[in-house]
Amino acid sequence: MRVLKSFEYFEPRTIGEASQVLFMYDIKAKVLAGGVDLVPSMRRHEIQPECVVSLQRIPGLDTIVRDEAECLRIGALTSLRSVELSPIIKKDFVALYEAVHQIASIQVKTMGTAVGNLCIATPASDVATALFVLGARLRIASVEAERIIPIENFFIGLHQTILHPGEIVTEVLIPSSSTEAGSAFLKLVRMATDVSKVNVAVAVTVTNNACKEAKVALGSVAPTVIRARKAEEFLKGRRLEHKTIVEAAELAAEETKPITDIRSTAEYRKEITKVLVRRAIQKALDRASS
Amino acid sequence: MRQQIIKFTVNGRQYELTIEPHMTLVEVLRDQLGLTGTKFSCGVGECGACTVLMDGKPTLSCCILAMSARDKNILTIEGLAERNLLHPIQKAFIDCGAIQCGFCTPGMILSTKALLDSNPNPTREEVKRGLAGNLCRCTGYVKIIDAVLAAAETIREGGKSYGQSE
Repeated sequence: MRVLKSFEYFEPRTIGEASQVLFMYDIKAKVLAGGVDLVPSMRRHEIQPECVVSLQRIPGLDTIVRDEAECLRIGALTSLRSVELSPIIKKDFVALYEAVHQIASIQVKTMGTAVGNLCIATPASDVATALFVLGARLRIASVEAERIIPIENFFIGLHQTILHPGEIVTEVLIPSSSTEAGSAFLKLVRMATDVSKVNVAVAVTVTNNACKEAKVALGSVAPTVIRARKAEEFLKGRRLEHKTIVEAAELAAEETKPITDIRSTAEYRKEITKVLVRRAIQKALDRASS
Repeated sequence: MRQQIIKFTVNGRQYELTIEPHMTLVEVLRDQLGLTGTKFSCGVGECGACTVLMDGKPTLSCCILAMSARDKNILTIEGLAERNLLHPIQKAFIDCGAIQCGFCTPGMILSTKALLDSNPNPTREEVKRGLAGNLCRCTGYVKIIDAVLAAAETIREGGKSYGQSE
């Protein structure tokens, strides 16, 4: 059995304490939430932190609540399984529900957290792609300050986020305005448990039969999850007829910068982006209209 | 120095152990407690062979630090039968021929228990979803799914555990 290299281990009781330790150890420290990514990476010896800071004993982080402003808040220790089983999310934040529901392993969903999934900063994150179109923001805390940023600004590259040493993402905030939109999430995988070849989320709002606003997010086709801004602009104000949707999907595919790897070729990813975006717009539209 | 003392309950028995923070739960269960029913296979959360129930939830013991199990209640395959009375899920796996090499079986059975505890009457599709995190390289899954459905039926009819295995 390949074992983990030893490390200093901390179980702080507050975010402040956790932040202090993380600041002290800087890049030599890793945050432990659910552990489904961290522990395997350490077992493969891909990462060997000198210090592991567990958030598991900090109270109040395992929550899904709707606050007075109808903003949905998902805490840093909330499991993917809790997200999947939340009636509010299934009803009002459909793209997020669909993204999490399609993650196959019950064990991974039970242990893994939504926030942890974001902090890995993989472009294949189904959760991130869904949250992009739901207008999610992240609350980031450190010892002395707190900031809230749009999720699009969180990722700066493959496995890279804007987090400074000592900063911790404490929750995801999803505005209630996103509930007016119809949303959908689709992905292409070889088998249910695999990482996405391409994933797509769409949210559209419709007034007088025309698209008022559209958001299209794409995963696994660039170093980070991206918004397909040209496609979004194109959709705005138009009637969402089949031809328009097809054209928007073409635009979205043009905005991708996929690579070829073991899961797919770049060319295939571009092609399949078109198909998934077309289907996701249609699905989101059906939901917005009904 | 780095050693820590943790307390937890495994199969109804309280333990107080000295461990190091880098130890995963599966190592402690197998190497310190001798509970080798929990299997170590892929080590990275792909196969589900190491699944145990922690406070009733299906948990990959290879992907969790033993420190995270502090004060928790853990059920491994050894804790399922009541003395020599097999649990209905175990009995169903035997009766349906859902076991070949047996390596995935402890994980399969504990995932099944988690599924049936929350959904006593699953459809075939729900069984597939409930076991999606457990790989079997022998059976092709059909008999495993049959066994889960059979166990569900037995449990629904009030069959708590089985003794009369001939």
